[in-house]
Formats: sequence, C-alpha cells, structure tokens
Amino acid sequence: MKEFELEPGEFVVHLVRKHWLVFFGELLPFAILAVLPFALSKLLLLVPSTEQLTIYFDYSREGPRLALGSFLLVIWTIAWGTFTRYYLNAWVLTSQRIINIKQRRFFSREVSSLFLSRVQDVTTDITGVLSSLLDIGDIKVQTAGEEEEFVMRGIPLPERMRDLILKYVPEESPPADGVSGAPHISRP
Amino acid sequence: MLEQPLQPFALPTGVFEKLSLAGIVSPTLLIQWTLITLLVFWALYTLIAIYHWLRYAHNLLAAISSIALHLFVSYAIVIFALSASPLP
Repeated sequence: MKEFELEPGEFVVHLVRKHWLVFFGELLPFAILAVLPFALSKLLLLVPSTEQLTIYFDYSREGPRLALGSFLLVIWTIAWGTFTRYYLNAWVLTSQRIINIKQRRFFSREVSSLFLSRVQDVTTDITGVLSSLLDIGDIKVQTAGEEEEFVMRGIPLPERMRDLILKYVPEESPPADGVSGAPHISRP
Repeated sequence: MLEQPLQPFALPTGVFEKLSLAGIVSPTLLIQWTLITLLVFWALYTLIAIYHWLRYAHNLLAAISSIALHLFVSYAIVIFALSASPLP
C-alpha cells in the first residue's frame, strides 16, 4: 500500500470496514428518495382533489420521465459516492500497529497509525438487539497518557477484532525492581 | 420490424404553460441549462470518485467493477429518461 509503508517483518493481519448493514443504513435515505416519485404518483390517485396533478407523474410522457430520470441520476450518483467513501474507510491491523484510514469526504483523507506497543486497553461495545444478533459493534483502543484513542464504529465481529489486536500486542517483561512501568493490558 | 421515421426530440413545454412560466423564462432554454448543469455535476462527481477509487482503493478489480457498475446504471437511467413517448 502506498499510504503507509510496512516495516521489515511487519505484515497485514486483518483489514476491516464497517458492517454492510451500517452501510445499508447510510443508503436508506437514497432508497426512500428514489421510491418517492413512484409512490407519490400512486398516492395522488387516492386523494380526489389531487387527481389533476397525476399528469405530472405520468412517467410514460417525456416531460415527467425526463424529470424523473434526472432526479434518479442525481440520487444514484450521490449514493455511489457514499459507497465510494464506505469502501475507502478502513482499519488495517498489522503485526505492529493499527492503521486508521478515514475518508470523510472527497479530498479529505486521514491516515493515522497506533503502534500496538502503546496500547493500554481495548474495549468492545455492542449495543442493541440487531447489533447483538449480527455481531456489530464498536472498538475503543486506548493508549497510555492523554493521547488520542482509536475508535472503530460499526464493525463486524468486534470481539474477534479485539482478540486479534490483543494477540499482537507485545508482551513487556517487568523491570528488575519489580515495579511494572508497562501499561496494563486487559485481556479477555 | 415496423420502420418509422425518426421524430426530432421535442422538449416538453406544457408544464411551463400551466405554471404560467411561459412568459418569464424560455422553457427550452431552462430545460437545456438544467440538463447541462446535471451533466456537468454527474461528470465532475464521477471523475472525482473515479480518481479516489483508482488512487486509494488498492484493489484494481474492485475499483473497475464499481466504476463499471456506476457507468452502466447511469447509462440505463439516461436511456430510461429519454425513452418516453412524445407529449401529445
């Protein structure tokens, strides 16, 4: 990958994106908007006073169909842009670090790394019935001190990801005086 | 196959007459500019997204599949939009 160079001996363990259901949730407004013109033409027939407006929703005529086609093209294009951003957002776990790739919008991309040797605590959070059934949740990776934490939201199998992270966190040997200076690592 | 002479594409004007816009703006001009704006928006958005796919996806197969899908669906929508029967 060009955005980050792997160190000698470092390898990619796992690459994860948001769960597909979370992505579908982001697509839902576009789906509703796309169905709306078709639903509207049917709903207008139910109200007697608005029957005359149905001529504008007769999509066999070129005017309404051109307008509908233009509307659908805009909706589709923006929905595809949403998919593009979904795909370009990823978390990469390597044998030495976690790389967080954030594609907020077009031309706004942030790639940050967190070395596993600095990981202090890994927390998973699965809230809700659907999330529990489908194993969708958040992971919070905290480092020692007041440094920023990594949060992965809406990822599939967060507990498996946590186990993978903890598996690659290097074990630190205690110092000779017996007082541990190493951060505490909570393991499942 | 029944062959019919080609009919020139006539822009719909009935809507504008009913909305009393006929005297304010030229319907033909308004529709033309709307379609041009839409085309420019689509082309720019598509180009920017293609740039991001090719530069950051790191997976050529996924990038090309996604771009091909977008172009195919856009083409299908445009064909749909232009395939209506002319206004009476």
